[in-house]
Amino acid sequence: MRSTRLTALLAVFLLAIASLAAAGCGSSDDDTGGGGGGGGEPLSVGSDIPYPPFEQGKPGEYTGFDIELMEAIGEKIGRTPEFKDTSFETIFRDVAQGKFDAVISAATITEEREEAVDFSNPYYLSEQAVLVKEGSDIGSLEELDGKTVAVQQGTTGQELAKDELGNSEIRPFPEGPDAVNALKAGTVEAVIIDAPVAQNAVEKSGGVEIAEKVPTEEEYGIAVAQGETELLDEINKGLEEVLADGTYTKIYKKWFKLEPPKAIFSAAHEAE
Amino acid sequence: MSEFFNQYFDFDYMGEHFWEVLEAFLQNLLIFAVVAVLALTWGLILALLRQLPGRKFLPIRFLTIAYIDIFRAIPILIVILLISGGVPFLEFLPKDIRIPHWFGKPDPFWYGVTALMLVYGAFSAEVYRAGIEAVPRGQMEAARSLGMSHGQAMRHVVVPQAISVIPAPMLNEMISLLKDSTLVSVIAFAESVLISRELLAQSFNSSALILTGFFFILIILPLARVVDRLIARNQGKITRGSHIEVA
Amino acid sequence: MAEPMVRLHGICKRFGELEVLKGVDIDIAKGEVVCILGPSGSGKSTLLRCVNLLEPPEEGEIYVEGRDICKGQGSGTGEQSWELDFVRQRVGIVFQQFNLFPHKTALENVTLAQEKVLGRSKAEARAKATELLERVGLGDQVGQYPDTLSGGQQQRVAIARALAMDPHVMLFDEVTSALDPELVKEVLDVMRELAEEGMTMIVVTHEIGFAREVADRVVFMDGGVIVEEGPPAAVLESPREERTREFLGLVLDH
Repeated sequence: MRSTRLTALLAVFLLAIASLAAAGCGSSDDDTGGGGGGGGEPLSVGSDIPYPPFEQGKPGEYTGFDIELMEAIGEKIGRTPEFKDTSFETIFRDVAQGKFDAVISAATITEEREEAVDFSNPYYLSEQAVLVKEGSDIGSLEELDGKTVAVQQGTTGQELAKDELGNSEIRPFPEGPDAVNALKAGTVEAVIIDAPVAQNAVEKSGGVEIAEKVPTEEEYGIAVAQGETELLDEINKGLEEVLADGTYTKIYKKWFKLEPPKAIFSAAHEAE
Repeated sequence: MSEFFNQYFDFDYMGEHFWEVLEAFLQNLLIFAVVAVLALTWGLILALLRQLPGRKFLPIRFLTIAYIDIFRAIPILIVILLISGGVPFLEFLPKDIRIPHWFGKPDPFWYGVTALMLVYGAFSAEVYRAGIEAVPRGQMEAARSLGMSHGQAMRHVVVPQAISVIPAPMLNEMISLLKDSTLVSVIAFAESVLISRELLAQSFNSSALILTGFFFILIILPLARVVDRLIARNQGKITRGSHIEVA
Repeated sequence: MAEPMVRLHGICKRFGELEVLKGVDIDIAKGEVVCILGPSGSGKSTLLRCVNLLEPPEEGEIYVEGRDICKGQGSGTGEQSWELDFVRQRVGIVFQQFNLFPHKTALENVTLAQEKVLGRSKAEARAKATELLERVGLGDQVGQYPDTLSGGQQQRVAIARALAMDPHVMLFDEVTSALDPELVKEVLDVMRELAEEGMTMIVVTHEIGFAREVADRVVFMDGGVIVEEGPPAAVLESPREERTREFLGLVLDH
């Protein structure tokens, strides 16, 4: 009796050790993967993955618009980015506290956020999309008032819903894909989410369509801790180079299947 | 260090959002109460099905054991996502059941309640079983030899005795249940963790999470003490009754 | 000769690989008191538990008052085909470990099955229980819970509990083995009275003295078979079989 208990205890203990070891191996894979080119000191970059098509993929094989753009910028400035998956809610706090050097996570530049971090020049001009079920008679944002609407927690879509839809029940999902699932299941009537995410859902998942795109004057930026001007300048310089040499356009077309808006070229210059 | 305290222990911030978080915490208590009643009932049914005697009931026993094993093994989060994402597609069900909106509570509440009931029904069935199996075999034999049916023997002899050893482990399950009620946040039900994270996203301050934690501690610590006392009481009982166990 | 009260014919019982009963035949007449003796592991308790189907036999037939109670059942798993209600309303059993219901008072132990199984009213069951508890000398203990009673008292409650069902046959499975020596007599006295009143009794016991005084017949079992049987004087004083002699030698040494 006693010895069988001991054996069981030992087995559990060994299992725990094995799990730890496996986890250890996994994380070291992360560190070596996702690089390419560069040299110099690696640049740790936080991102809330998955948020397709901006960031997606498994640890060590992260990809997406943000990821490839960051890698292209890294190549220009001689710093290999190492991506760290993190939660969007805490991402600005964490970069401010130095948990990583920079953040690229489809993050809109807002005054509120600028109190906590510094942003690069805009690298992407965003729109919000009203995603509905295929064949739905909802055609615009206004028509959603009074209906049940899903958003992703802590995103611009949630802000927009709060501002525009005073009579709606707004359900903030921690993860975007779960919000899209709720739409497909019919428990919500629309999802307000970043346009590229919505576009991706239309293509990949089917059964849903974009009712309206809402321009938000949103610009995405790369965030660094306040006072990291040297790093910020380098990132801006790298961004300008990838915009100028056509790399940006190539990456944009790959992920969004569209020409990048012309405004992005001037937007990135203006800030200088 | 002060950064840490500002982030997590900003008491002014907690004060400002106290009622908001408390109200959300009441939703956790509500989920807990509804699921506790359902799961304790469902678990008892499962445990009794599992104890049915004879070859005739073998398929029922097998299915019950399979159910209990599976629902104890799947992470609750997966069950919640499966129920909330799957039930709406079961078109043979009426819409009111696929997308329930009962007693003024939205569908994510009911999906969460269902998922937690399915899982905690399985866990509590095991607690009941342990209780039933702790009752000496001779009790069942004595009752059956007096002509009672299996059901009568269970109801009047075995279960009443099993009940006395069940409260401590069952209360432990219920403590876990209360904590797991926060998992319903993943399907956007506005309970305390969702609201705290909502506040975090707005203000980049995590203190609401800590406040939520305080509420849980406030409810659970006394329960944990009750568990201790129940265990102590049961140990006393075993010692007192030991003279019966002369072999 | 009248029809036997209980007839066991060709009873075989296996626990996995272990063959506990290897073809036992025995008839018990109405009003007869039979004591079964034998070393531990001889199968005597199992045989007793076969009579009320607590341990259904794999092979053989059991008749109670002429009725085949395992009718059509061959493998020991077909509970449907057993005459459970029939047998358990006619055959009472008292166990070594008493098996009183610890959450019920002495009185409730005796009334529970009367009400639930026989459908007697509360008052009827109470009256019967009080009478029986007085008869076994526990008239002043009716409100006690089992864990406040001595072993001898508990066993007497257990006897009253079985008698409350108005059995035609009583089985006693080593009912004094778990008792302190000074408590054995009070239980045997109750059994002796019961025998004198004409109850049919099958008693598995180690109490040679009781067997000698009370039994109409003594059966000695060993290795899953009946080795020897007959009137107590014959089997206990001048056993024919070597194994019986050996066993009695060991038991009577004490």
